[in-house]
Amino acid sequence: MDKGLLAYLLIPLLSAVIIPFAARNRPRLADILANVTLLAGLVNIAWMVLRPSVVADGFADIPGDMLFPLLLVGAIYLVALCVTFFSAWFMEEGQPNRAAYYSLILASVSAMTGVVTTTDFFTLYVFIEVLAVTSFALITTDDSRGGIEGALKYFFLTFPASALIIAGISILLIVLGDLQFETLRIFMASDVPPGPAVFAAALIMLGFLIKAGVVPFHAWTPDAYQGAYAPVSAHLAGIVTKISGVYAIVKLGTLLRFFDGRASALSEMVMFLGLLSIAVGALAALRQKDFKRMLAFSSISQVGYIVLAAGLGTPLAVIGAVFHLFNHATFKTVLFLNSASVEKSAGTTDMEKLGGLEHSMPWTSWTSVIALLSTAGVPPLSGFWSKLLIILALWEAGLRGYAGLALLFSIVTLAYFMVMQRKIFFGRKSQAAESAPEVSAPLLAPAVLMSAVIVALGLLFPYFYTYVKMVAERIIL
Amino acid sequence: MTYHNLLFTLAVLFALWAVMAKKLLTSAIMLALVSVTVSLIFFNLGAPWAGVFELSVCAGLITVLFIGAVSLIRSTEEKHPESRAPFYALPLAAAIFAIAGWFYLPAFFDELASWRRLADGSGTIGTALWDLRRPDLLGQVLMLAAGVFVIKSVFPRRTEK
Repeated sequence: MDKGLLAYLLIPLLSAVIIPFAARNRPRLADILANVTLLAGLVNIAWMVLRPSVVADGFADIPGDMLFPLLLVGAIYLVALCVTFFSAWFMEEGQPNRAAYYSLILASVSAMTGVVTTTDFFTLYVFIEVLAVTSFALITTDDSRGGIEGALKYFFLTFPASALIIAGISILLIVLGDLQFETLRIFMASDVPPGPAVFAAALIMLGFLIKAGVVPFHAWTPDAYQGAYAPVSAHLAGIVTKISGVYAIVKLGTLLRFFDGRASALSEMVMFLGLLSIAVGALAALRQKDFKRMLAFSSISQVGYIVLAAGLGTPLAVIGAVFHLFNHATFKTVLFLNSASVEKSAGTTDMEKLGGLEHSMPWTSWTSVIALLSTAGVPPLSGFWSKLLIILALWEAGLRGYAGLALLFSIVTLAYFMVMQRKIFFGRKSQAAESAPEVSAPLLAPAVLMSAVIVALGLLFPYFYTYVKMVAERIIL
Repeated sequence: MTYHNLLFTLAVLFALWAVMAKKLLTSAIMLALVSVTVSLIFFNLGAPWAGVFELSVCAGLITVLFIGAVSLIRSTEEKHPESRAPFYALPLAAAIFAIAGWFYLPAFFDELASWRRLADGSGTIGTALWDLRRPDLLGQVLMLAAGVFVIKSVFPRRTEK
């Protein structure tokens, strides 16, 4: 585990423990403590990475093995801060478990930081499990029928996944005699027949594919996202499932050296499932009538792009995967937070009942436009660059069919989001929209901030590319 | 050897308690204690890795999951008492097993002891936990904290209803 990044794990944990005591008599203190903790972490990361001198040096000051974890820790803190800030104004007064809610969010931030900083399979497993437990409790924050149903589906699909992962880890321990990431990488680079190690890795990979909600293991995703408490959906879809599933897939793909074809069968399987996710997610999203459910299917489709690139595993594909992982965190957070705003303001997320919200909720409407255009990969927004990298990597590797289909479904993405935008925000005002005022400025702030990040990443891509390229080189070498 | 026997006895006691407890929560906690004693037995037999993993997965993780699940069960379901008659036979069965074990198990353990060579020399609980698996401990602490938060988050609403 990287000791330099340990503080990002320990401080949220400490805050999580303090919050229930500090906020016993003053519930509002829980909001403040959670937000301040995450903001402080984010400012700290920004200072480390985005100082003008560091940027001018091409990030040479940052130790090589900290580049990738820092990027992800940054994404984790950014999304979590947006979610806690949003929750502070979204949550109704006098909710009995306000303190526990923030403690759980901070515990999940700690666990995610643990996941991205560890260099050992078993430690990875322990943190992933903490993440699963906290997500499960967070989904039930809204104890409506949908919340419990989502939580139980999550429970029943992700814990068998954990069993697969632990089985894979134990076989790996027998084969390699060690659980360090490095050992697997060295083993795969050697001439020893990789059979048993690849089998073990395949079991682990399968577990993570389930946790990432990749088709055909996606059954829990729409219900969990739709049923969860509104800001929790943003937290889950924005970052939690990406870290607990997708990150591990990318990491495992690079450790297994997918790019030099040592585990080609597994690599092809992962790529196929990635493409299947893109297709099924996009086609299912076209048919959805509920805003949050459509976003959930869109999430499945976008995860497919990352998994596809991770399965290919060439340097360019890994750059695309890492960048798309980060981008997905930004635009999905905006869309899910906006769905929460719509739910609060209009009282429903049913797209048949909504319409013409643009007139009364202009900020929500236009931040959605930015996020959806970025998701669909329209230049010059950030999503365009990451999808371009992934499709270029596929083309370069001679997988023209995959590249073509990835491009095609990018257009389908644009189509279903256009339908969504027209049904919810544009067009004639519906009855629900008549009495739906724009939400207050604090609720808009996270979405506006994230939209600004999306635009900035798109426009300042050359600077960001240097960073992401260094990250990918570090992972692969 | 006394220490060993004590651990075995404790493991059996906790296991019986886990099966016979009236409350699900007690059962979950007792199961965790079984895991703790079993992992101590692993350590004592010179298999610290198995011990550490048993402690991490079974005592830490599974317990939190069980407690999380128990906290979701509505209190009304606890009002229907189950038939406890079968459980009274359990101590009897355990006693018969214990007497049989007294005669047959020592030979079995001798056989097991001949397999010790593989795991030998990996150090004590201390080295295994602190030097080899230190980051896991952090994960365990986080897991325990998460368990407490889960209970704090789910229980108040259940009692409120």
